[in-house]
Amino acid sequence: MSFTSTKKKPKKATFHVDEKELLCKNGCGFYGNVAWQGLCSKCWREATLRQREAQIKSDEKLARQIHEKEEALAWGNRGQRPHAAPNSSTPDDVSGQMGGGFDRFEEKKRQKIQASSRAKQVKSMLSKSIISPNRGETPAQTQPHPNVQRQLSTESREASVRFSDYLKRLSKPMADDLSKSCREFGEKILTVREKISIDEVVEKVQDFYVDITGRIYTHHIYRGLTATQQATIIDNIEKYLMTLHYRELFSPMDTDDEQKDLAIQNRIRKLRWVTADMLGADLEEGNLLVSQLIVKAQTELIEMNAKKAPIDKLGCIVRSSKIIFQILQTSQDAPASADDFLPILIYLILKANPPQLHSNTQFITRFSNPSRLQTGEAGYYFTTLCCAITFVENLDATSLSLSQEEYSDYMSGKIQPPQTVEPICEGLHMMYNNISALEDLRVRQERLMKNAREFSDEMEAWKQRVSSQVEEAITSKPLIKKRYSKQPVNLDHDFGEETKGLPVPMEPQKVN
Amino acid sequence: MAASSSGANFKVVLLGEGCVGKTSLVLRYVENKFNDKHISTLQASFLNKKLNIGGKRVNIAIWDTAGQERFHALGPIYYRDSNGAILVYDITDEDSFSKVKNWVKELKKMLGNEICLCIAGNKIDLEKQRTVAVADAEAYAQQVGAKHYHTSAKLNKGIEEMFLELSKDMLESGSADFLGGGSTSSSSRKSKTVTIVDDDSANQNTGGGGGCC
Repeated sequence: MSFTSTKKKPKKATFHVDEKELLCKNGCGFYGNVAWQGLCSKCWREATLRQREAQIKSDEKLARQIHEKEEALAWGNRGQRPHAAPNSSTPDDVSGQMGGGFDRFEEKKRQKIQASSRAKQVKSMLSKSIISPNRGETPAQTQPHPNVQRQLSTESREASVRFSDYLKRLSKPMADDLSKSCREFGEKILTVREKISIDEVVEKVQDFYVDITGRIYTHHIYRGLTATQQATIIDNIEKYLMTLHYRELFSPMDTDDEQKDLAIQNRIRKLRWVTADMLGADLEEGNLLVSQLIVKAQTELIEMNAKKAPIDKLGCIVRSSKIIFQILQTSQDAPASADDFLPILIYLILKANPPQLHSNTQFITRFSNPSRLQTGEAGYYFTTLCCAITFVENLDATSLSLSQEEYSDYMSGKIQPPQTVEPICEGLHMMYNNISALEDLRVRQERLMKNAREFSDEMEAWKQRVSSQVEEAITSKPLIKKRYSKQPVNLDHDFGEETKGLPVPMEPQKVN
Repeated sequence: MAASSSGANFKVVLLGEGCVGKTSLVLRYVENKFNDKHISTLQASFLNKKLNIGGKRVNIAIWDTAGQERFHALGPIYYRDSNGAILVYDITDEDSFSKVKNWVKELKKMLGNEICLCIAGNKIDLEKQRTVAVADAEAYAQQVGAKHYHTSAKLNKGIEEMFLELSKDMLESGSADFLGGGSTSSSSRKSKTVTIVDDDSANQNTGGGGGCC
């Protein structure tokens, strides 16, 4: 019996596992798992959480200790104030102790520099251990809500707020209907986005636009709206949805948008040397107004990347284009045509190098309301922008009317184009303008002086000529003074009949 | 959007070499002015004109294109999804007419017969300096299925008529975008099919038409 039992026992041990061994070691009554060190899932999670918290605490403690040591080291080196408050800043302390005379001040300054450099060294050595507990904190804080909804960016939240504000202004059934269809559609996009390609998403979005447009035109709750109101509703829906799902839809991971962005960016960077003249653009870059407008138009192009909704991005393109027409207006009276417009737009793109150009144009093409792109003004400017980008991508020697050699020399940086005055900032630009104005004034001043001198010389010569002529005249016709012979006149001469009627001349009378 | 709900929207591209007078032509049509200092618009690259044809409201968006040789390759981006094209040449400049032929070939290749074509021989006020023969131009237009017009922006001749006829053609061909987004996707999908025109036979025909020169 004892033999059999001993014979059986090892057999039992290999094949039979006691129920007690399967249960959670914590004794909570649930089954445990070897992978969780014999604990059940719940206890295991609690244990690891506790462990992690403890780890964080010890890390924090360690970090604090290191920090204190480091402080102590820094202050200890100065031989004073071993218990310095960790937050008091050193410059204040130095000024506080400055009363001790110049020598002491100098010495302290030296010490302080040494200490701070040493502290820096220590800090950089320990930076890893200091940073890690901070990092550990974030997951610990978010741990209680592992299934929290995806974080909305500030813009998305603002867009939601703005959209709900907008809906409040509409009548109740309309607002409810719109928000319902938008919410449904947004959820649908989010759930299927992982599984389907961007082209299918585009199709879904465009179909949604068509559906919602049709609904607004035909459904009875929207009856009584004007065409403009309907258009604004559609615009607002587009704005809201696209801003909300911008992160998923802009430059998506399953396309090569990002590579293309980089490619075009590098391409533009390589083409920095292209001047407006080479493109056949009529630009007076020296003109202050023109250069200001150029900067403004460039800013608009760059701004495009910061806007979220396609309609807002298009707005940037339209504004930029309008500024280009203002630029053209400075040099010509007639309305500008595409012949003038396109070269300048290309030039601006080369100068501005707007970020994520390809992604932005793709985003607009994919998710803008198609009617806007097809016939509207924004569509025209957007198309022209696409043309400009294509031109930049395919640019070669012939498109700049350069020879192949010149082109490759420019590309390799062997030669530089004749640099026009490149305004780096407004002040510098004004300085250039002032310098040229002063130069102009100086030239004019010199010319004036020269002319004045010439004039005075001329006057001198004239004076001499006149005087010599006078002299000559005088010498050729000398003044001959003739003797003036005075003939005595007899006043009392009898004039005969003429004086007959006159009274007799008065005779002086002697008065006593 | 607002306009599309109440009528038809058409996109018309304007193609032509640099100095053939595209800008003058369209400004004469939209503003009825020629070389005028008091033109209200800053630009002539994108203009709208509203028409009423047989009780139907029609909105034409006229897209100017850059005509310089260096931008020639960009043409397809401009005339994508357009309903009509006006090809302008200068009757005193034979080169500009051969450019028109190039564009026609391209348009046919890209858009097939979905686009209504107009060929405008501009500057007929300079009839005395004409180098492009009327018969040649008209024969060519007929051969490619385009309508030919003799225009002058300076004298305001033929322009109104050309745009009106083009609008009627576009209405008839029914490629109008009546409801904004509605028909767009289908029309853009349709235009993806490429019709290939046999260039050689077209050339031979042109040669036959203009055999005298």
